Amino acid sequence: MTVVSDDVVGVDTARARASWAADDPWVGELRDPDGAGRAAVLRLRGLLLRATRHQVWSLRHQLPRAGAGDLEDLAQQAADDALVDVLRRLDSFEGRSRFTTWAYKFGILHGGAAVRKQAWRHREVPLSDRLTVVDRAATPAGVSEGHDLAAAIRAAIADALTPHQRRVALALLVEEVPIDVLAERLGSNRNALYKTLHDARQRLRARLAEDGFLDHLPGGSTR
Amino acid sequence: MTHHDPRAGLTSDQVASLLLDSAPYLSCDECFERLDAYAEAVLADPRHTDVPLQVHLSACGVCAQEARSLVELLALDG
Ligand SMILES: [Zn+2]
Repeated sequence: MTVVSDDVVGVDTARARASWAADDPWVGELRDPDGAGRAAVLRLRGLLLRATRHQVWSLRHQLPRAGAGDLEDLAQQAADDALVDVLRRLDSFEGRSRFTTWAYKFGILHGGAAVRKQAWRHREVPLSDRLTVVDRAATPAGVSEGHDLAAAIRAAIADALTPHQRRVALALLVEEVPIDVLAERLGSNRNALYKTLHDARQRLRARLAEDGFLDHLPGGSTR
Repeated sequence: MTHHDPRAGLTSDQVASLLLDSAPYLSCDECFERLDAYAEAVLADPRHTDVPLQVHLSACGVCAQEARSLVELLALDG
């Protein structure tokens, strides 16, 4: 069946509302601009702060010079950003999880983005489409190797990828630039960069398979 | 832990990551859409599977960290 009637949509919406009511009676009040709504928004911000604090502390190794106060400031700012995001996207909550879980993921997202942005604030983002990035740590013995997997990978990176795919794949996977940081520097977004990375991996795998290195490909060759 | 592959200047982890099979494709936004229900399902049953989502998490470091963090937070809430 491909027909989706208004009735079905209506049932889903009703189910979502029922889920809000069952799990979190205060959630419906988020739409109320007056007294009860304000209290609900404060409660939501408390939830989001719990998530941003958890995430900021989980990633504190990325900010070795930050003190507890700095981390708390980041968590508070991220909770504000997450609150705006959640309130804007309230209609997209469909009750597939508890509301608290749904809200938490926005706190995790914004908490993580805040830490990564801070960690990379003064760092140059390496953006090379040259293989020198890959060769940086090569040893003389390694350079002399001719027809092994490593050489095949280097050749595939050089030949099978577009310059943009090479830049993105090397920055994300070799230089370990976080995808949201790279997206911001390139004026792009996570989805677009992940798609570029996905396509680059497919091309590298296809080239390696052509070159007879099928057995070396992680994840099997047919998945 | 990463292991250096002196032949290429790439660590074995980097080689594995470059050659990882990220099909079936799922975008970061679609991953985020499904993450809350997935996290609850995994906590309820660690054997729960969602292949496209799990492939994305194996292929996207930031989404994977976010998923781990969400599951940890839910586990803390009990
Ligand atoms: Zn992702």
